[in-house]
Formats: sequence, structure tokens, C-alpha cells
Amino acid sequence: MTSALWLASEPALLPSRIQMAFTLASHVLLVPLGVALPSLTLLMEGIGLASKDPVALKIARRWSVVMAVQFAVGAVTGTILSFEFGILWPRMLGQFGGAFGLGFAIEAWAFFLEAIFIGIYLYGWERLRPRTHLLFGLVLPPAGLLGAFGVLASNSWMNTPAGTTLKAGKVVDVDVMAALFTRALGYEFWHFLIAIYMTAGFVVASVYAVAWLRGRRDHYQRLAFAVPFTVAAVLAPIQLVVGDLSARALVADQPSKFAAMEITWTTRDHNPEVIGGLIDANGDIHFGISVPSLDSLLVGYSPNAVVPGLTSVAANARPTIVEANITHLAFDLMVGLGSVGAALAVWHLWVLWRRRRPPESIWFYRLAALAGIGAYIAVETGWITTEVGRQPWIVFGVMRVADAVTTAPASFVWTMLTALVVIYALIAYFFVTLLLRLSARWRREDLNQPSEPEVGAPYGPRPRTFTA
Amino acid sequence: MPDLIAFTLLLAITAYSTAGGVDFGAGIWDLLAGGSRRGREARALIDHSMAPVWEVNNVWLVLAIVLCWTGFPLLFQTVFARLYPLFALALVGLILRGAFFAFRHIAEDPRAHRIADLVFGLSSLLTPFFFAASLGAIASGRLESFSLMSIAFGLVSLAATAFSGASFLVGDARRYGAIELVGYFRRRAVIAALALIAVGSAALITIGFEAPDLFRPMLAGKGFPFALVTMVLTPVVGFLLWRGVLRWYRVLTVAAVGSMVFAWAFAQSPYLVPGQLTIAQAVAPFSTQVLLLVVAAVVLLVIGPAMGVLYYLDQRSALESPET
Repeated sequence: MTSALWLASEPALLPSRIQMAFTLASHVLLVPLGVALPSLTLLMEGIGLASKDPVALKIARRWSVVMAVQFAVGAVTGTILSFEFGILWPRMLGQFGGAFGLGFAIEAWAFFLEAIFIGIYLYGWERLRPRTHLLFGLVLPPAGLLGAFGVLASNSWMNTPAGTTLKAGKVVDVDVMAALFTRALGYEFWHFLIAIYMTAGFVVASVYAVAWLRGRRDHYQRLAFAVPFTVAAVLAPIQLVVGDLSARALVADQPSKFAAMEITWTTRDHNPEVIGGLIDANGDIHFGISVPSLDSLLVGYSPNAVVPGLTSVAANARPTIVEANITHLAFDLMVGLGSVGAALAVWHLWVLWRRRRPPESIWFYRLAALAGIGAYIAVETGWITTEVGRQPWIVFGVMRVADAVTTAPASFVWTMLTALVVIYALIAYFFVTLLLRLSARWRREDLNQPSEPEVGAPYGPRPRTFTA
Repeated sequence: MPDLIAFTLLLAITAYSTAGGVDFGAGIWDLLAGGSRRGREARALIDHSMAPVWEVNNVWLVLAIVLCWTGFPLLFQTVFARLYPLFALALVGLILRGAFFAFRHIAEDPRAHRIADLVFGLSSLLTPFFFAASLGAIASGRLESFSLMSIAFGLVSLAATAFSGASFLVGDARRYGAIELVGYFRRRAVIAALALIAVGSAALITIGFEAPDLFRPMLAGKGFPFALVTMVLTPVVGFLLWRGVLRWYRVLTVAAVGSMVFAWAFAQSPYLVPGQLTIAQAVAPFSTQVLLLVVAAVVLLVIGPAMGVLYYLDQRSALESPET
């Protein structure tokens, strides 16, 4: 067993991988709202200003409070991640920091910009002139985009490394542009960008879909549902196309990842598309539905198209069977959820176009309420596909995960992992409680006396006097 | 140019030490404020002053880390491969602090609230201590996580953060018109200044024995001007606050703490790790350096004015309605 050998030689490998996966999986949940919620908020504010609608402005202001809380949590989990690169993978950063790190260098500044402008935006409500306030807010989407670009440039570099000149294992020269704009960036960036905007739209709308199901059907609910849901609905069909392009680009860029996604054992034409199902160590497929020649058709528009198999790559340079199965199931789940989302989107857009109002079917709102969770799962599984599918490489084709891992004792990493899991669970609990409190208070206020939406939130402008 | 990158890194570390220091210091006074009833007033002020800024301080930290791994990959690898326990402990403090700061806003049960206060306060000790300890371990040139040098640096950071925290809380108490708290934090700032002088002197003696190569330039070399500024300004701020001359004390506090960081960095330059790794040895390839500086310059042009606006809004216009 190769994996057992690795465990023996690199004792900290397993806990390090679990820790990185756990902290990244947590952080990635905060990204969609972190990057895309400002845009939705600004859109709502713009609608409010254009149509002089105080309800739209109220919604925008409440969203901005959620944005701030979410940003604060993301700042903490993001800080942890940046340290983990050093604590868990010091050898990768030591060797490739000058190339891999470029994207992060851009991201760090973008993050800085975002932190400041979120502050200005939050403080500016009713203190700046409405137009000025909106203008300041307009810095947020590009800052978020720049940050996303940075992180994805770094991740793309791990998948399709380029732009470095190595001499005796040391990077002696970096072509900055080639290292930033690697092949994978072209599809990773657009695929992820659309994904987070879609997710933000579905997640925000799902809150108000639940409100609809509970009987709240006023102007407030309708507006707060329709705007984000329409954004997501417009993007969902586009994502099917972009996602398809991304997957097909992998055939050339990372054949082993593609083979794992499709659990193809040997390189062949007339390759079937296996939906669900598992592969075993002999290359036999169990369970699942196999559609003859569909994979070849999807890849090359012809049943004769040749599709790479796992065995086209040496056993120690491709994902293990377990990793291949994880990649495959994650990929199928993502595609399935994306397709359901797109169908729901078409439903919404169709009714909107024909009747000039959102759908009124209870089933539509039940599905829309679930779309928020579905979108989060799609983001997670998409991320699992790209990360697990890259195994055993940390830098594809260049450096193995096992060669990058820390030399710290395994017990240290296990201890840190345990501490992080406990603390993250607490943070998640506090975070959700806080959001529920805010939501409950806002609901009460809509029935009674209004007050400033920021009251009770831990971050944001404070009253002039404080009370003990 | 490598020196310029190193200087940018130093600026990020200094910004974190001063701005973050104010925040952590406030956390320390929160811990020392006493039981729920006795510490009520002080805690409310601390809470009030900290709310809008703390996540911005994390930005400095992320910036320092990213500059380090992109600009000096070899330094990053060397330091983290050896000092991971210190960073892990500092991180645990950091997230506990963030989490429980938020939690105490939502805790309704008084006992839960008290626990949140405690965890928040204790974690405010952990983070500055262990981050500074890592600098001490680097400064010694031996990269030992737990040594006299790392402990000395850690203790200095605790005194320094308590000092800057109290000094800024004096300002906040005045701003919010909490007269009795002005005196409360003035007394504490003076005590912290005395503590900083005592711990700082002890640390200097430790450096003299443990790292003579650092000691010399600190007292008779590149680090000396900065060391001198710290040695003069700390008592000056203490004196101003003691006599109740409430002018300039915040700027001088930042200058005192910032110079201390500068004194260490300049004293060990051109080494990143004394005796082991110089700036020139660890620096990333040329084109990476160019990109780092270009990005930094462009963004600073935007960030400078933006911070001004944020500060203006924060100082000038607080929410009008009283808290419910």
C-alpha cells in the first residue's frame, strides 16, 4: 500500500490534509456572501434610490449588516488559512512562494481595500448623501473581484503551474504574468465567479422563500426575494456552459483529474458516462447508471472521441481509488445540483417574462428555499472535485503533497486540528445565533417601532453614548 | 530593492503591533477589569471602542504573512518549520478572541457572558505574547520556540499592548464623555508605562546575554536611534498621563511602540534570521519583487485616502439614536 508507506514516512501528512480540508471547507462557505453580497446590496440600494423606494433601502441596509458580520468571520478564518500554509506546508511555500504567492499578494491588498470600504459603507448610511454612499459602495464589487482573482490565480497555479525557472530545485526566476495567468485561471476564475454570485443569490433569496412559505407576502418579501433570485437565475444557465467548458479543458490540462471525475479506468473511445457509481481497484464500475458513449460525445462531440483513463498515468501520480471515487461523486453531485438550479431558474424567468411577477406555486418556493443549501453544497463539492482530483500533487506534476508537508510531529497537528474543530464549531454556532437574533429583531421591528438596523450587531457604527 | 520589500514587511509588522496592540491591550484591561459588576463600566467602554476596528487589524497580519512568503519564501519556510508551536498558539488565541468577542454580544445568560469575557480576555494575552515570542526566537538567531529570548519578547509585548491599550482607552473615554473612566485608564496607563520600562530593561539585559550581536547595534548602531526614541517616549507618555496633560499622548504611544519594533528590525538587519539568513539570500526572484512593490504602491494610493474617510466618519458621526 503506497498510502500506508507515505503515512510511515510523513507522519503529519494525514492530519495536515484533514486540517487543511476542514479549514478550507469552512472558509469557502463564507466566500459567496463575502464577495457577492456587496453587489446584491448595492443593486438593492440602487433600485431603492432609482425608484425612491424606502423598503428597498431598508433591505439593502439590513443586508449590509449581515455583510459586515460575515466579513468579520471570514477575516478570522482567512487569517488562519494564511498561517496554515506555513504551519502545514512550509516546504511548498519555501520553494514556490515567489510564484504561488503572487496571487495572494494581490488578494491581501484587495482584502485590505474591502475591509476599509465595508467600514465606510456601513458608517455612511444616512450620514453621506445617498448618491455618495452608493458611489463609495461601488468600490466593493471590484475589490471582491480582485481578491477572488488573486486566490484563484494561486489555486490555478497549483493546478497548471507555469512561469518559474528552476535551477537545482530552487526557483531562480519568475515570469510574473505567466505565473499569474496560468491556463487553469481562464476557466477556474469564471466558473468560480459565477458560482459565488449564483450562490449568494440563491442563499439570500432562500431566506425570503421561507418567509413566503410562512405567509409573509408583502412588498418587502417580494422585493428581497425577486432581486437576488433573478440574479442567480440569469447566471445558472450560463454556469452550465462555463462548467462544461471547464471540465473539457481538464482533458488536456489534467487528464488524471478528468479521469477521476468520470471514473474512467483505461483511455478509450466510446467512453460511457457513469452517473453515480464507484470504481474498484481493478477498474470495475459498481452501481450507478452508465450511458453508453455519452462521455466521449460530451468531450469531443463524437462517440469516437478518445477520453483519458486513470491508467494513462502512473499509479503513484494519479488519485488513489478512494480519492477518485470522492472526486467522481462530488463532481456528479455538483453537476446535478447545478442542473436543478438551472431548471428552477428557467421556471422563474419564464413566469417573470410571461406574467411580469414571480411564480406563485408553493412547490416553486419549497424548491427555492432549498436552493440556498443546494448552492452551498454545489460550491463545496466543486471545490472537493478540484482539490481531491489534483492528488497526489500539491503543485500539479511538480511537487507532491507528501513532499510539502511539515516535519512537525503528527501529535502536534492532531492537537491543533482538534482545537480548531472545537473553536470552529463554536464560531459557527455564534454566527448562526447572531444572524437568527438579527432576523428575529428585524421581523419584530417591521411589526412595531423601527430602529437602526446595526443595533445589536457586534461590528459597525456605534451610538454616540454607550450604556453599561 | 530587496531592502524595500523587507521594509514593507517591517511596516506591516509594525502596523499590526501598534494598531493590533491597542486592541489586544484593551482586551487585557477587559480581563483585569474585575467581576461582572465592578468591571461593567470599563467593559462597556472597551466593547464600544473596539467594535469597528478589530477585523481591520487582522488585515495587517495577513499582509505581513503574504509579503513574507511571496517576498522571502526561504524565511517563511525556515521560520515556520521551526516555530510552528508559537504560531499555532497565537492563532488559537486569535480565533478564540474573535469568536468570544462576538459571543459576548449575544450571550444573555450572565454566567455565559462572564465566561465569554474571560475567554476573550485570556486570548488577548495569548496572541501578542506568542507572536512577539516568535520574533524573539528569530532575533536570538537560534529559532528555539521556548527560550529566554522568546519569553522576554513575549513579556515586553504584553506590557506594550497593555500600555497602548490603556492610552487609547483614555482617549475613547474622553470622546464618549465618561469622565470617571478617563482617570481609571490614566492610572492604568501610567502603571503599564512603568511595567513596560521595567520589562523592557529586563529584556534588554536578556538580549545582552543571549544575543550580543543584536545587543551592540541596538545600543550603538542602526537600531539605536529607534531604541532611544522608545526609551525617551515611554516615560514621557507616562508623565503626560500622570499629570493629566491629555495632548499628543496617543501619537507618542504609537511612536514609542513602533520604534521598539523598528529597533529590533534595524539592529538585526541585514539579517532576517541573525547569523543564518540575510535579506539578499531569502528574497524572491527579481520580477516577483517588482510586482510586490507595484501592487503595494497602487493600492496604497487608494487605501490612504480611503482610511482617511473611514476615520473621519468614525470620529465625526456616531449613530444618533441611543442603544436599545
